[in-house]
Amino acid sequence: MESEKVKLTIDGASIETASGTRILDACAEAGIQVPSLCYLRGVSCSASCGVCVVEVEGAKSLVRSCAQNVAAGMVIHTNSLRVQQSRKAIVEMLLANHPADCLTCIRNGSCELQELAERLGVRRVPFPRTRKKPALDDGGYTIVRDNDKCILCGRCVAVCREMQTVSAIDFSGRGIRTRVASFMDQPLRESACVSCGQCTLVCPTGALSEKDETDELFAVMADKDKIVIVQVAPAVRASLGEALGMPPGSLVTGKTAAALRRIGFNKVFDTQFTADLTIMEEGSELLSRLKNHGSLPMITSCSPGWISFIETFYPSLLPHLSTCKSPQQMFGALAKTWWAEKAGIDPSKLVVVSIMPCTAKKYEAKRPEMRDAWTWWKEKGHDFQPFFDVDYALTVRELARMVKRVGVDFSRLPDEEFDAPLGVSTGAATIFGTTGGVMEAAIRTAYELVVKKPFPVLELAETRGMEGIKSAELDLDGRKLKVAVAHTLKNARKILNEIAAGKSPYAFVEVMTCPGGCIGGGGQPVAVTDAKRAARQSAVYVEDRRLPIHKSHENPAVSALYAEFLGAPLGHLSHELLHTEYKKRVV
Amino acid sequence: MKRIENLKALEKAAAAGRAKLLPPMTRICVGMGTCGIGNGADLLFAALEKALAKSGAASVGSGTVMLKKVGCFGFCAAEPLVTLAVPGRPILLFTEATAKDANAFVEAARDAKALEKIAGRAAGKIDTWDFKTAEISFYNHASNPRASGGVVSDNSFPMVRPWNEIPFFKGQEKVVLRNAGLIDPEDIEEFLAVGGYSSLAKAVFGMKPSEVIDEVEKSGLRGRGGAGFPTARKWRLLAGRPETAKWIVCNADEGDPGAYMNRNEIESDPFSLLEGITLGAYATGASQGFVYIRAEYPLAVERLRKAVETARAYGFLGDHILGTDFSFDIDLVRGAGAFVCGEETALTASAEGLAGRPVPRPPFPAEKGFRAQPTNINNVETWFNIPVILAKGGEWFSRIGTPKSAGTKVFSLVGKVKNTGLVELPLGTKLERMVYEMGGGAGAHKRIRAVQSGGPSGGCIPADKFDASIDYESLASLGAIMGSGGMVVMDQDNCMVDVARYFVSFTAAESCGKCAPCREGLSQMLRILGDVSRGEASYADLDELERIARVVKDSALCGLGQTSANPVLTTLKYFREEYERHIRDKRCDAGTCENLFQALCENSCPLHMNIPGYLALVKEGRLEDAYELTVRDNPLPGTLGRICHFHCSTRCRRETLDDPVQQGEIHRYLADTMRQTGRDAAVWKRLAEEKKRPTGKRIAIVGAGPAGLGAAFYLSRLGHEVTVYDAQEKAGGILRYGIPAYRLPKEVLDHELGVFAKLGVRFTFNTRIGVDFSLGDLAKANDAVLMAIGAEADKPLGIAGENLPGVHPGYEYLDLFARKKAPKLGNRILVIGGGNVAVDAARTLFRLGKDVTVAYRRTRSDMPANLHELEGAEAEGVAFRYLLAPKEAISGKNGHVSMVRFEAMGAGPVDRSGRPTPVPTGKIVELPCDDVLVAVGERVDSAAFAREGVAVGKDGRINADPFTQRIGMPNVWATGDAVTGPATAAEAMGEAKRVAKEIDKALTGEDRFASLFKDFGYGQEIPPEPEGSRKNRPRHLPPDQRLRNFIEINQGYDGDQAISEARRCLRCDVRPNARSPWR
Repeated sequence: MESEKVKLTIDGASIETASGTRILDACAEAGIQVPSLCYLRGVSCSASCGVCVVEVEGAKSLVRSCAQNVAAGMVIHTNSLRVQQSRKAIVEMLLANHPADCLTCIRNGSCELQELAERLGVRRVPFPRTRKKPALDDGGYTIVRDNDKCILCGRCVAVCREMQTVSAIDFSGRGIRTRVASFMDQPLRESACVSCGQCTLVCPTGALSEKDETDELFAVMADKDKIVIVQVAPAVRASLGEALGMPPGSLVTGKTAAALRRIGFNKVFDTQFTADLTIMEEGSELLSRLKNHGSLPMITSCSPGWISFIETFYPSLLPHLSTCKSPQQMFGALAKTWWAEKAGIDPSKLVVVSIMPCTAKKYEAKRPEMRDAWTWWKEKGHDFQPFFDVDYALTVRELARMVKRVGVDFSRLPDEEFDAPLGVSTGAATIFGTTGGVMEAAIRTAYELVVKKPFPVLELAETRGMEGIKSAELDLDGRKLKVAVAHTLKNARKILNEIAAGKSPYAFVEVMTCPGGCIGGGGQPVAVTDAKRAARQSAVYVEDRRLPIHKSHENPAVSALYAEFLGAPLGHLSHELLHTEYKKRVV
Repeated sequence: MKRIENLKALEKAAAAGRAKLLPPMTRICVGMGTCGIGNGADLLFAALEKALAKSGAASVGSGTVMLKKVGCFGFCAAEPLVTLAVPGRPILLFTEATAKDANAFVEAARDAKALEKIAGRAAGKIDTWDFKTAEISFYNHASNPRASGGVVSDNSFPMVRPWNEIPFFKGQEKVVLRNAGLIDPEDIEEFLAVGGYSSLAKAVFGMKPSEVIDEVEKSGLRGRGGAGFPTARKWRLLAGRPETAKWIVCNADEGDPGAYMNRNEIESDPFSLLEGITLGAYATGASQGFVYIRAEYPLAVERLRKAVETARAYGFLGDHILGTDFSFDIDLVRGAGAFVCGEETALTASAEGLAGRPVPRPPFPAEKGFRAQPTNINNVETWFNIPVILAKGGEWFSRIGTPKSAGTKVFSLVGKVKNTGLVELPLGTKLERMVYEMGGGAGAHKRIRAVQSGGPSGGCIPADKFDASIDYESLASLGAIMGSGGMVVMDQDNCMVDVARYFVSFTAAESCGKCAPCREGLSQMLRILGDVSRGEASYADLDELERIARVVKDSALCGLGQTSANPVLTTLKYFREEYERHIRDKRCDAGTCENLFQALCENSCPLHMNIPGYLALVKEGRLEDAYELTVRDNPLPGTLGRICHFHCSTRCRRETLDDPVQQGEIHRYLADTMRQTGRDAAVWKRLAEEKKRPTGKRIAIVGAGPAGLGAAFYLSRLGHEVTVYDAQEKAGGILRYGIPAYRLPKEVLDHELGVFAKLGVRFTFNTRIGVDFSLGDLAKANDAVLMAIGAEADKPLGIAGENLPGVHPGYEYLDLFARKKAPKLGNRILVIGGGNVAVDAARTLFRLGKDVTVAYRRTRSDMPANLHELEGAEAEGVAFRYLLAPKEAISGKNGHVSMVRFEAMGAGPVDRSGRPTPVPTGKIVELPCDDVLVAVGERVDSAAFAREGVAVGKDGRINADPFTQRIGMPNVWATGDAVTGPATAAEAMGEAKRVAKEIDKALTGEDRFASLFKDFGYGQEIPPEPEGSRKNRPRHLPPDQRLRNFIEINQGYDGDQAISEARRCLRCDVRPNARSPWR
């Protein structure tokens, strides 16, 4: 960042700001919010929408404030009639080719285009439609693409390419036929898309959204024949409040449990239970690899977008993945075996729902191999119709809709506890919700398992924060272990390239698909910013401190599970129910 | 062997090239650019090879003839071009050569007589050529046997004009095209012979890179890609970058429809481009470069590819260029043909393999361009100028053109001009010079309306702005751009709405679709333009169109978007009335927007008669129906059928097959047949019976000429009470008092006036409004007044002696003659003028037995008179003298005129009327005479009305709203020649038809006009595979039977002829989107 200051005039006021500041940001510093539709911090500026134009004296045409930097002596008018007319005309033209179905749109109330039209005082759409209505792409498990609502701002393309280096979508066609498309206009599910859902977070309209399963779920819950239980991912408690109108970073663990009961789930459990279990399994796996010269570095496997990514782009590096299932899938497998048996419930009537900060979890739940509970029962001689370990994976956004629909006043709900035993967890499980959390939890446990002494520091600074790749060195009883934490697939790719080149110094790597980890997940509330992600992250750390136990191996319910059912980590049953294998994915 | 590493080696190779350019044998060069090949140059070349083989003269080298393929000399309208150079003689330039000429060329190479013979066909000769980087005399050189050292004073081929006296080339200055068409583009030695690579040598051996930039700065060169950014400034940005990896790029992604400058430049002279680029690399410190060239230019790609290889082999590219430490190499990148890839950032994206979508600037390519490295991009033509600037100095260059726009610019001049091709002009040349002088205009019968400068993102400049000079600022001030040099000329057959729609459809399809203003704006503009062209738009749409266009111009991201609105904005600015005509009247006068007319004949007819309808009815033998259909459109079919200019025939599609259909003759046949058999009375009776119920509205029409009668016909049928006032004693105006009886027998007119009596139209003759009583009185006494006073006052000549006894105004004479009050004239009559009045007066006097001479200041082909009238007069023996401009009328002894003194004129360059300008030669011609008739045009005599407050304009024309035809006074309208100035009778009646509709609407508040017409249910079959058939010619009275009588010359069709002619109609009206002429 250049520190030199420049003076300029914005709407008659003299402003001093750092050179290299975008006009848009300088205006914000001066207290003027220039409207914008396509601008997205963190990716390259496409300057496609033209809504943020301002008048710069001496410039031939209007200037896009998102793309141009300030210069000394600039005289800027942000609201001249010329500017207003231009902005308004652009929005009018965009609306001409955008369906006017706001009342039934999934983004009703959270649509940036809607908000902009209101802000600019657009009271009519003077133009008819000129674009052909494109087909709806809703055949996948996770993301629905309604290109009719797409205004071609390019944010989705930018995050897909620049943040995730997936490029499942790009622009196709020219002129009014321009569209965001996958390769050869195939449905998204047949593309390289890893279902991370980051596009759904940045889409200003309803063109990209999660596949909403709330109606289906309400119907299932009304079925007296079914027992519907729910698990809640760690990051959900740091964002559900925000999705329901509370300030970002509100920690709502107890209200979440209470809300789920009001909605009507028969049991309200916590994915954090299996997060602790994951640490037990994964930590053991790491130690085993270290001992038996297995593939190193070992890389975490709880983020399903990441799994798709490596399966698609780096299949030769699959041996580096931990064989552990994600906590969601471990939960499903255990709920429909151990817990169902214990509770005397017919597993075919048991419906496992998970509430996730993630869109890829919907896809993960539907991976064909994720029917281990059914296999377990079959091997025990029960001939059930095949069922999945997890039946429904809903995003935070969907849960918020359910809460609204049942009419619960969320902010006034009492704090309630999760049900035992699948609701018992530790702070180590909570921090799974943020980048670096799995690593930190693993280190807390692995250290104590190996060194057999209490881990000296509780909060590990090296793996915290929002750096793209963080690394730390661990002294495991004389053995130095380098570990790394990466979030977003762009950073994961860097780690993989190092591994592929044989130059990776790490023994253990945590990878999270989304920026900030699950708190920035594709299933979280839309219109996410760095500040909101930071607030959610600190909520996760607050929760860690609040919980009485901070280490997964100290979770009594986990211990009971091993004692009652699994035996030991990496045992036979663990292998059957908690581990999986990965395959090269061809798209 | 070939690498050239010092000046000596360079000179040696150049000498080898000179030996090829000036060989001791005849050199025949065929222009083999894409344009030449498209016109058969390849066939010609093959024929030449064959002829050479047959004659025993081997090509290239040992024989007597050297045959070469060269690039294009620029004159596309006259391809294929051939040059023939016999040692010691100037080069002869031949146009439109064909394979048939091959033997003659070969013969000429070997036989002096044959050479002289073929020289007679040459279009021009070149004796010395300034290649800018070297000058070469084609007749004064070592291999010229007659040169022997001293300069030969050569006047070889005196009958052949120098090449730059050919109108197309006159005023051109070939800097960029210095080598095009003269050297073999694939022979580097020929390039070296004309000074090629001497500039590079000069730079790398003796100049610092910064000095090269200084020289370019001095030249004032601005980017030729369109935006006109100073080239040196751009280079300095790159030169100042610290990075070691820098790129030099040549933008050869020429994509404007109708523009092909760059293609030709590369095809004709690829090494000049490479030299320019290499100089740029040297100046800026770049070591790598590429040419981004359209894949659709296969020949240019191929020649450039070969040139790169050759240059590399010679050491002009690659490592250690010319043996120095300077290294630079060039790649070719073929673009897939996206227009937007001409934009810098889209171009680099495309070259990187990404979609060609622009990104915001800054950062500019000089900071972050191709592969995120500093990059300089210039257009092909910019690069072509660099070697010349280095060779001749920036100062020399800056003296060409204007101070702000230095140098020349190559334009591809296409469209509705006679001479199309590549025109290289010093900037600052007037647009009119290019269009009329070099382009040769559109001919006497077409009117040039506009030129689209700068391609699809340029603007339409109207003809009345053609005095603008061609430079960056002046074009921009007109709303257009220089662009890369496309110039598309449009005439009256081009609809300006359609022009805008075409260009917008192009840019809308080529918009990358990234930025909302461009993508959405173009799509909405295209929609509105489509609506306008279908007659489905409203005035509000026009406002929206303009609003969108302004927003797009103001807020699109890249140059393509920002300029894409230019065609819309300029046509709206300069041709708004034409848009309104589409919207309000649902008419496309140019006959382009198909949904707005029934057929081209109907659309061209000022009365919009349902011509295909009566042709079909005649074909079906339903003569009475055909007549009724006709007369509903036009109350004077027999009259108009004789004297009309037959606008219908001028656009008849049958003409593309053989001859246009003679719609007018059939029209006349119908009227004559009904008149002779008396069957028209029944039709008139029907019209009288179906007259609308009286509205009680009183309408006064001033003038009983074609316009007044036309309006009276419709208005009375609509139930209004119509009175027509006229100063004469009978109705008809010019029809009766201007047109001689041998063209229009007065009994025909008298008979046809019967319909007005049937309809109850009242006439008040011998009354002059403005004199006998005022317009104000008339307006008070009537609900509506229509001024249809025509344009009958003769224009004066403005020469000394014009008022002498014996000098008579032409129209006035015809009028007096018609009223049998004409003065007696002497025997030798001189008629001055070239229009129909002049010819009518001449032929009238011929019939009186006079000795008649017509003197006209232009040439015969430029005469405005109808050609068949002119031919008739010639056949009768009227003498015509052309290119004579009157100077003075001189009196004889009695004070009566006895002679007129003229100055002989020469034909100068084509002027705005599309005709060669008469230019004085200084030679005086005196024609003795007894009487003089001056017929040099008419004007509107509106002085009396002007005194009453009627606003009048040029030539006394009454100012009226173009659509309502209302003048400033509340219930007064004006129509016909009184508003438009002198026009044809049909045009006056067409205007009258429009005004009748307007007046009726104003008086009744309803649009009832369409109810005056009727559908006769004729057949809707398109003739299957029409066979060729010439037009039917009616019988004409032979010239020897015309003397001393006024018998009608044209005797008209007989019935068989009429049906046979009607059958020739191709029925363009049979299509789903045809619009009824009645509305």
